[in-house]
Amino acid sequence: MRLKKLAILTLSLSSFYAASAFSQEESATARQIIDKFQTELIHVMKDGKKLGYAGRYEKLEPAVMNSHDLPKIARIVVGKEGEKLTEEQQKKLADVFTRISVASYAHNFKDFSGEEFVIDSEEETKNGGVVIHSHLTIPDDKPVKFDYMLKEKGASWRIINIIANGVSDLALKRSEYTAILQRDGFDALISQINEKIDNYAKQ
Amino acid sequence: MIKPSNIKVIMLVFGVMASTNSMAKDKYNVDDPYESFNRKMYDFNESVDHYVAAPIANGYKAVTPDFLQTGVFNFFNNLKNFNVVINDVLQAKFSQSASDMGRLTMNTTAGLGGFFDVAKHVGLEQNDEDFDQTLAVWGIPKGSYLVLPLLGPMTTRSAPASAFDAATNPASYVSIPANYISAPVQFMSALNARANAEGALKFINEAAMDKYVFTRESFLQWRKNLESDGKVNMDDDLMADNVDDTSLTQNWRDYGKQFENTAQSFSSVARQFDHTAQTYEQANHKIAQVQKLHKK
Repeated sequence: MRLKKLAILTLSLSSFYAASAFSQEESATARQIIDKFQTELIHVMKDGKKLGYAGRYEKLEPAVMNSHDLPKIARIVVGKEGEKLTEEQQKKLADVFTRISVASYAHNFKDFSGEEFVIDSEEETKNGGVVIHSHLTIPDDKPVKFDYMLKEKGASWRIINIIANGVSDLALKRSEYTAILQRDGFDALISQINEKIDNYAKQ
Repeated sequence: MIKPSNIKVIMLVFGVMASTNSMAKDKYNVDDPYESFNRKMYDFNESVDHYVAAPIANGYKAVTPDFLQTGVFNFFNNLKNFNVVINDVLQAKFSQSASDMGRLTMNTTAGLGGFFDVAKHVGLEQNDEDFDQTLAVWGIPKGSYLVLPLLGPMTTRSAPASAFDAATNPASYVSIPANYISAPVQFMSALNARANAEGALKFINEAAMDKYVFTRESFLQWRKNLESDGKVNMDDDLMADNVDDTSLTQNWRDYGKQFENTAQSFSSVARQFDHTAQTYEQANHKIAQVQKLHKK
């Protein structure tokens, strides 16, 4: 149970990036976006074993893309280093970013044992964003806090950051990605992300 | 009059002592000026964990039933609640201290010395307080990130704070019926903690692309979250489109530069740091060599 909890807690630390723009934007509040996304996650967890990794990936891809502002997240996690990338490199990064985001969700949300997401409250940030405070209840274990930071995009809202029990995925990823870009370069970063995607698919 | 040796300690505690080359670099992580030293310590700790701690912990898990592992965890966790109560009071959280005292008393008595966590069934939740958090409440900055051999990640504030916590934890003095029992008790605590960390370590291996950076950032954010009692930082500067590394860290950079000259005067101490790091790096290589020989 402890291992499972850790896996669930940390899924947000590695996952949730996908790319591309949204072709069909519908009007929705920040709360509705989170509610819909969490409901989809629970559905996938319930059918997790039957779906298998490929099935979970297929189900989660649209759910992730319709709830996260992935192009923006991709820009943020590479920070100033992103300005040095060519247009082709940026497209390549966006592509692998999409795949690792969905892949890590598909890897971590693989089974179900009575978990439930509960939305607690919402708050506005100083720059016009919204934070949805929620938690995941886990039978016989401590709940895990999930705080979603969203920004308005068109008529709807999109997730920019997830904070799991106080640990910001955006800050974590930004530190890792910029460190690798500065030290090893762009090709090494892409290679490492691809390696992670392959590992998720194997396990 | 302050002796030079005392100044060194003060500088270390407040995280302003830098290694000779780290402050000179144009780009450095403001939280981690000793990165070169820390990475070597991290590698050393990983080797020790891989070749020593993990095999022992896995053996312990294999031969110990789950309920006993939980009982051992509860036992040490209950003793730690003594620290929690002290730090509740030091942070002026008097209502929480009453609740935590109730938890400690209930688990020690009805929970048969702490082996059973009966308090949670009556709604007394486990709080997490330590002296490092108390220092944060008192306004002392966290200092720099520091990785020490065998002790793992901490900060220049939490390192001395953990010594206080050890001194106020009854587990440090468990010696019934004779003093020699104390060492096995401490060993048991460390062993159980390592066994319980298996899931987190597995996750880091799966998710991290740079395990050192991943661990550092997770650790620092986790500590910050404990200091704020779980309150989310609503500062969303990081979410801005044109987020700028320089502007985000400029204040810290300025702060660091103010101390740069002073820090440089302690360059000999910094060199000792580097020398120590090299020693551990060599030890690390030797462990790897021994392992290769063993495989052959």
